[in-house]
Amino acid sequence: MVVLIKVVPDGKEVYVDPVTFTLNRSMATNVINPADENALEAALQLKDKHGGRVTVMTMAPPFAEPFLLECMSRGADQAVLISDKAVAGSDTYPTSLTLAAAIKKLGKVDIVFAGEKTSDSSTGHVGPGVAEFLEAELASYTRSLKYEDGYVTAERELETGVEVVRIPTPAVVTIITDSNIPRRATLRRKLDAMRKGIMVWSLNDINVPADWVGLRSSPTVVRKMLPFPRKDRKAKQIDESQFETLIEDLVKMKVINLEVSA
Amino acid sequence: MTTLAKAVPPEDLSQYKGIMVYLDSFNDQLTRAAIEMIGVGRKMGDKSGEKVIGVVIGSQVQSMVKEAGYYGCDEVYGFQSPEFKMYRSKPFTDILAGTVFEKKPNILVVPGTKNGRDLAARTAVRVRSGLTADCMEIDIEPDTGILIARRPDYGDSTMSEIRCEKHRPQMATSRPGTFDLPSKNPKREFKTEIRDVKVDKNSLKEQILSFIPKGEEDITASKVIVAGGLGLGRPEGIDLIRQLAKELGGSIGVSRPIADLGWVPHDFQVGQTGKIVRPDLYVAVGISGKPQHIVGMMDSKVIVSINKDSNAEIFKYSDYVIVGDLYEVIPKLIQVIKKKKKAAVPQPSPS
Repeated sequence: MVVLIKVVPDGKEVYVDPVTFTLNRSMATNVINPADENALEAALQLKDKHGGRVTVMTMAPPFAEPFLLECMSRGADQAVLISDKAVAGSDTYPTSLTLAAAIKKLGKVDIVFAGEKTSDSSTGHVGPGVAEFLEAELASYTRSLKYEDGYVTAERELETGVEVVRIPTPAVVTIITDSNIPRRATLRRKLDAMRKGIMVWSLNDINVPADWVGLRSSPTVVRKMLPFPRKDRKAKQIDESQFETLIEDLVKMKVINLEVSA
Repeated sequence: MTTLAKAVPPEDLSQYKGIMVYLDSFNDQLTRAAIEMIGVGRKMGDKSGEKVIGVVIGSQVQSMVKEAGYYGCDEVYGFQSPEFKMYRSKPFTDILAGTVFEKKPNILVVPGTKNGRDLAARTAVRVRSGLTADCMEIDIEPDTGILIARRPDYGDSTMSEIRCEKHRPQMATSRPGTFDLPSKNPKREFKTEIRDVKVDKNSLKEQILSFIPKGEEDITASKVIVAGGLGLGRPEGIDLIRQLAKELGGSIGVSRPIADLGWVPHDFQVGQTGKIVRPDLYVAVGISGKPQHIVGMMDSKVIVSINKDSNAEIFKYSDYVIVGDLYEVIPKLIQVIKKKKKAAVPQPSPS
């Protein structure tokens, strides 16, 4: 099994203590993408049940190393960091390509896990993209899964309901955020991980030519950043004495109907 | 089928013409997101003179093909097989990518439903082109045929404009609810072609074992949404916004931190990682107004914000603002609404 992860900026700048409900404002730091933590946990649960090896993989600069060690401290057997200056600026096409090439190098892989999306760019393209490059079956938006005799049975959570699909391996499964509770690292595993270390692969190691990746080989290009569009709204301040007028205005504008809901 | 190789752009871009719209469906009915995308395609078609080509896959596509034409497609291709009642990642990719290779569209837009995103991401790799997700704006440069896709950036208040100038088709998805529905005209003229697809059951690797429909309220359909943010401060705040929502005949919504705290399911989350809503009335309660939230509700018809911080960012996006403690403001608003409702009930006329 392989788990694809990404290190992202911590989106929860504001954090509410679940016990006291007080606000904590912490500095934005880097974290493992939340859905990827759930993907790792899903893989580790399969490992607990059926055995097998779990390899965590990311494509990132060297700063990602401690996050890979963290995954090993939770129970992953090994970790691969694909680090190469040439990949800088890659969009989801070359990213999927590079990850797929690295997975192929690992040899026989039954299940590739990924988060449904990342919390920073949020495209959700890489999991399906890797599936396509590996010519693998795909179960996206999965909340739980089972493995039996070379088949994955996955519960996909869709807008309209939950679909249960059965696909043969090799398969890519993308896991939805909060679908399980990621286990904590143990001290023993942490020490093991530190001793073992991670594997660092360059593009050369996975036979991907440098001109296949990076900004120049990405089909999409960010052309410009624009200020956020803003409708011209009046922000009319209303005090308590005007609540009646406000409700009357809303009725007049036909955005609420008090007769129907009365 | 898709070997590991870079995305080499085609040499002659001029042979790529037309705006293809993939029409996502559920139970052989077009999804709202699909109809939104026809509207997006139609607008670009009118602007550039390129034709709008719908592609629909299902078990019985006849009525969907017609609908697609009524809503604005110039040509609609339907692919049907009893095996296509539900979405299947690989066979649907085969069909959509096959149609792309056959028709060579300049642009391909796909509704950003979960299955749509699955399909778009896979198809983009298969056809070796570029895909931009979650576009808030999709437009075409009429003279160049270049797709202008704009999506919000994370953490700061900007939109990125993303282009795919060298590869074809230029692909984009948008979240459901991002666009208005186009109008339906049963008198429109359009060309249709329905193909029966022979599916070898043995080659179908993905088996759908069951489907359990969800009874959950779909807040994107609500006319009124009362949404709460961190300013609620405690879980009881949810009861309060629920009461106001009930009085107004609407549903509740929440910002991401509240859903992350588990006070309500993520189904109610409004914003970039939740639902995109555009109700008639959006009441933002204790929501500061981070861009991630704003993109999910800024197209609401009327926005009323309640916040104790008189400098709250959300006020810039609001028609009416109430500065005050929501635990005092909301009960008073409910009182006023109740009073108005009593007055609105028609009195029996004297005989």
